[in-house]
Amino acid sequence: MNALHLMAELIFMPLIAFIVGMMMVLMMRKIAARLQRRIGPPFFQPLYDIVKLYGKDTQISHGLIHDIGIIMAVGGYIGAEILLPVPGMEGIAAKGGVITLSYFLMIPSLGMALGVGQCANPNGSIGISRALTAMLAYDIPFILVVFGAAWHYQSTSLIGMIEYQQMHQWGIVEMPLLAIAGLFALQGMLGKQPFEIYIAPAEIATGPMVEMSGKYMGGLFVMQTFQLYTAGVLYASLFLGGGTSFLTLLPKAFLVVALPMSIAFMFPRYKTEDVIRILWKWPVMLALISLAFIL
Amino acid sequence: MKKELKIIQKERTNPLAHVFDDFISFCQSKSLFMLHYCTGCGAIELPPAMTSRFDMERLGIQPMVTPRQADILLITGYVSIKTLKRVILTYEQMQSPKYVIGICSCTVNGGMYWQSYATAKKLNEYMPVDVYIAGCMPRPEAVMEGLQRLKDNIRNDKKEHKGSAWKDYFNRYDYYLGNQQALFGDDWQTPTDIIAEAKLYDLETEETYGKHTKLLEKHQTPLLPQEMRIK
Repeated sequence: MNALHLMAELIFMPLIAFIVGMMMVLMMRKIAARLQRRIGPPFFQPLYDIVKLYGKDTQISHGLIHDIGIIMAVGGYIGAEILLPVPGMEGIAAKGGVITLSYFLMIPSLGMALGVGQCANPNGSIGISRALTAMLAYDIPFILVVFGAAWHYQSTSLIGMIEYQQMHQWGIVEMPLLAIAGLFALQGMLGKQPFEIYIAPAEIATGPMVEMSGKYMGGLFVMQTFQLYTAGVLYASLFLGGGTSFLTLLPKAFLVVALPMSIAFMFPRYKTEDVIRILWKWPVMLALISLAFIL
Repeated sequence: MKKELKIIQKERTNPLAHVFDDFISFCQSKSLFMLHYCTGCGAIELPPAMTSRFDMERLGIQPMVTPRQADILLITGYVSIKTLKRVILTYEQMQSPKYVIGICSCTVNGGMYWQSYATAKKLNEYMPVDVYIAGCMPRPEAVMEGLQRLKDNIRNDKKEHKGSAWKDYFNRYDYYLGNQQALFGDDWQTPTDIIAEAKLYDLETEETYGKHTKLLEKHQTPLLPQEMRIK
C-alpha cells in the first residue's frame, strides 16, 4: 500500500464516520420523537446545529486546557476511526488491533475531564466525576467482552475477527451471552437512559457540557457523531460479522445504535453507585459465564 | 495585570465570503437552542408547544439548560425586580448572536401587575427584545407564530436588520445600564464586562458610553475568583 493511498484513507475514514454519525444522531432524535408521538427534527438538523455552533460570534474560552480538552475529545475518536476497518478501507487497523482501539476510546472522556476541570463550574465538576465513574463501570464489562471475542477468534485484529466471522458464523450466534453483555455495556457507553446520571439536564445542567458554548459545544456535537458511529461499527465488527460492503455494514451499525435509544425511555435514571453496581454485576456475570464456555 | 485582547479584522478576500455568511445565517435560523426563564403563569403554554401537539423540534428549536449553550432567552411572565437581576445576569452570559423573546402581556407593559411596585414593567428597557408575544396567556399557536417570526428575522437580518437586536445592547449600553441603575441602585454591576466585549467585537458606538457607564466605573470593583473551600 503506498503512502498516497493511506493518506486518502486517513482522510476518508473519519469523513465517512462523521457523515454516517450525523445520520445516526438524526435517527436517535427521530426515534425519541416518534416514541413521544412527535414529528421530530428535519433531515439536516444535526448539520444545522454544528454549523450554527461553529458560527457563533462570541466564543468563550476558559483557558488553554479547555481548548486542548475538546481537541482531545474529538481527536481521540478520529484516532479510533482510522483504527476501525470498514469495507474497502483498512487505515492503520492492521497495525493496531482492538486493544489499541479500546485505549483510544478512553481518551475522549479524559480530554473532557481536563477541559471541564478548567471551566471551574461546580455542575461541570460533578458531571465529569460522575462520567468518569460511569466509564469505570462500563469499561470492565467492555474489556471482558473484547477479551472474550479476541480469545474466541484467536486474533486481536478487527480485520482477522471479521474474516473469521465471514468464514464461519456471526459472533452473536457462537457466543450470545457475550453479545448481550456487550449490548449492556453499550448502553452505558452511549450514556443512554438508565445510565445517564452524568448528563442529568434538570439536576446538574447537562454536567460536563455546562460551560461549553459555541465551537466547544460544536466540538462535542461532532464528538457525539463519532461516538455513535464507533459504537455501532465496533459492535457490528465484533458480533455481527462486519460487512463486505457498506450496504451490509451500515444497516447493522444503525440497528446497534437504534437499540439503546429505543429502550431508553422505559427506564428511570440510576444513581452513580447503582450504575456501578448494575454494570459490575449483570454484564460482568454474563461475560464471565460466556468466557467459561469460550476458554 | 490586564491583558489587552484584540481581534485583528482581516480584510475579507474570499469571493465566497457572503455565501458562507448566508449559509451560517440560514443555519442559525434553522437551529435555535432555547433557554426558558419561566416566571409566574407563563410556563403553562410551553409544554404543549414543545411536546406532541405542536412539536417545536420540527422547526429546529429545542430546549437547552444553560445560558452558555442557548440562543434564545425566553422570558414568560412578569419579571419582578429581584428576578430581573438574574435575567440580566443570564442574558449577559449568553453567547451572541442571542435573541430574547418576551411572552405574555406582563413583559410588554406589566400586564395585570402594572400597579405593582416590585415589577419591572417593560422588558425592552433593560435588554433588547427581538419578539414580543402578547396575550394573557398567548396560545401555543401564538408562541409558534412568534418563533417563526424570529426565524424569518434571523434569515432576513442582512436586508432588514431585524434579527440583530442583541447588537443594540452593546451599541447603546449606556441606555440599558441607566434603566438598570434606576432600579437596582448606583452600585449595580454584573460579572460580565459589557464595555470590554463591545470593544473586542467592534460594536462600540458613541452611545455605548455616557454618564451611567461613568457611574459604573466609579463603583466597579474587580471581580475576584471565589475562595474554594468546604464549609
